[in-house]
Amino acid sequence: MNSKELILESIRKHTQTKYEKPELSVDAITYPDKQAKFCEMLQFVGGEFLILKEGENLNEMIMRLNPEAKRIGSTLSYITCNTFNPDELENSTELNGTDLAIVEGLFGVAENGAVWMDQNVKHKALYFISEKLIIVLDKNKLVNNMHEAYRQMEIGQYGFGVFISGPSKTADIEQALVIGAHGPKGLMVILK
Amino acid sequence: MSTKHSIAAAKFVANKKQAAWHNETLWMVRAKRDKMSKDIPEWEQLRDLACNIKLYSNSHLEELLQEFEKNATANGAIVHWAKDAKEHNEIVLGILRDHDVKHFVKSKSMLAEECELNPFLIEKGIEVVETDLGERILQLMDVPPSHIVLPAIHIKREQVGELFEEKLGTEKGNSDPTYLTRAARKHLRDKFLNAEASMTGANFAVASTGDIVVCTNEGNADMGTSCPKIHIAIMGMEKIVPDQESLGVFTRLLARSATGQPVTSYTSHYRKPREGGEFHIIIVDNGRSKILGQPDHIKTLNCIRCGACMNTCPVYRRSGGYSYTYFIPGPIGINLGMLYSATEYFDNLSACSLCLSCSHVCPVKVDLGEQIYRWRQEMDKIGKASKEKKVMSAGMKFLMERPILFNSALWMSPVVNVLPRFIKYNFLNEWGKGRELPEFAKESFNEMWKKNKVK
Repeated sequence: MNSKELILESIRKHTQTKYEKPELSVDAITYPDKQAKFCEMLQFVGGEFLILKEGENLNEMIMRLNPEAKRIGSTLSYITCNTFNPDELENSTELNGTDLAIVEGLFGVAENGAVWMDQNVKHKALYFISEKLIIVLDKNKLVNNMHEAYRQMEIGQYGFGVFISGPSKTADIEQALVIGAHGPKGLMVILK
Repeated sequence: MSTKHSIAAAKFVANKKQAAWHNETLWMVRAKRDKMSKDIPEWEQLRDLACNIKLYSNSHLEELLQEFEKNATANGAIVHWAKDAKEHNEIVLGILRDHDVKHFVKSKSMLAEECELNPFLIEKGIEVVETDLGERILQLMDVPPSHIVLPAIHIKREQVGELFEEKLGTEKGNSDPTYLTRAARKHLRDKFLNAEASMTGANFAVASTGDIVVCTNEGNADMGTSCPKIHIAIMGMEKIVPDQESLGVFTRLLARSATGQPVTSYTSHYRKPREGGEFHIIIVDNGRSKILGQPDHIKTLNCIRCGACMNTCPVYRRSGGYSYTYFIPGPIGINLGMLYSATEYFDNLSACSLCLSCSHVCPVKVDLGEQIYRWRQEMDKIGKASKEKKVMSAGMKFLMERPILFNSALWMSPVVNVLPRFIKYNFLNEWGKGRELPEFAKESFNEMWKKNKVK
């Protein structure tokens, strides 16, 4: 017998009571104003938000808020303030040294400020390697909680997907919170 | 006979300032968890559901693991099965050798600790770098983690400052956490960029989709899997959840219970290998399937490794992770150690006051304290009951079965108050170690009742 067969045999031998699968309905929390809750939670987890007003120019806003950014990567067609297209790079390691990455999220989750991204760029490193990350998100695409979130995701459609809630962080030294561990030191969600 | 836990704990509490800090800091984490859980009105419903989903999935492992394998394989992943730690380590080494990997980056995995993977690989000439900040600090110090979520909770910033000064060339005397974290970021960024393969653990494995889900705050798992092209994910077989809807229950509970965050910064779903890369998944048994045959202890397989039971445990907070003899400390570690080898890890059973706080905070309702109580009833059977306590207990039984003797003893008891210490606190009195006897009342309740003194 190979190891797989041995393991399955041992599982069969030892399993006793077979428990039923529970009904998965949860009376989960909802919010009267999803956008307000999403922004509140995003700030709570160390992120920033910007609500783009009618007539405001997205590229101008990004440039105004990030004057120091020199190397700006984005694959989005409506982003013109970028200095390069990450999809044109051969290796993901070439993305090291990116000051600002601008990507698009699919939907946001009000209860925890997370944004779901499924990989729509060549190198997923783009989400993690830059000093700062901007996620552009349709403000109509907000759900209340993670149950609704998982119902939104189309099964079988992504190769890699991630919920991102704020910038990377650590408290491994004496539980002192430090924003910016291995991933971005700053994260802004622009709702448009 | 003191247990190994109590002997080691005595050392920990000798540093009063550090012990007090440890206790207060973990209590702060516990308080954050409370606040987070109270923001969710359906919290208790989620806990019940999480427990029931785990009871279902762990009693249907045969079906769910095969469903997972089928879906993961269809996604392009390569699934391996390891019956024990040795086979797990050999599989990892085999993959690394096939690709001539010399530099290997790892994100935190308790399973890799369990299998003692690092020393095995290092001995074979592979550079293994832990990339979680806490784990990296410990690796550079060459000491094990003392907590499963906050691995370096027992280390002071000054120690990290000195360590980084020596190993990473940081400024002398600078122990500012932000400064030190930035130094580690730079140091580890180089490691990410130059590694040929990476490893992650798995918080969850979704049977219906073949996804491996990893939750981190630092982004180290994602940096690791974004740079090198080979990703090895390892999972204990109880990490399986049936589907994405079930996953939603756990991603709501995990970070809130662990660190009092609404969710971790990154909840990553790995499904397919990277373009031109390979994605290996190793399913590990290493004693888990045998636990299925012990109904009294089956709920330990519910555990999602959030560490909430440690943060709340009055004994863990005041004795530190190194006081336990199993590599996972705290209430869950006591139980997992007993299941792994009762005769080797029975000492940890003494590290419990049976307050049951752990059982009340556990997001998947593992009956941690109750299981410890049950194990204590088994001590004599495995030949590990304290001889002194057995003598004393037999004496108590003799006394309590004989009312006349018992009452005489009770009448005599105030004498104990004035006995010299060496008679009261000696090797025969196991309970007298680290404890003071209460003062016996001059008159017993029995006598007071008879004289109608009890109002």
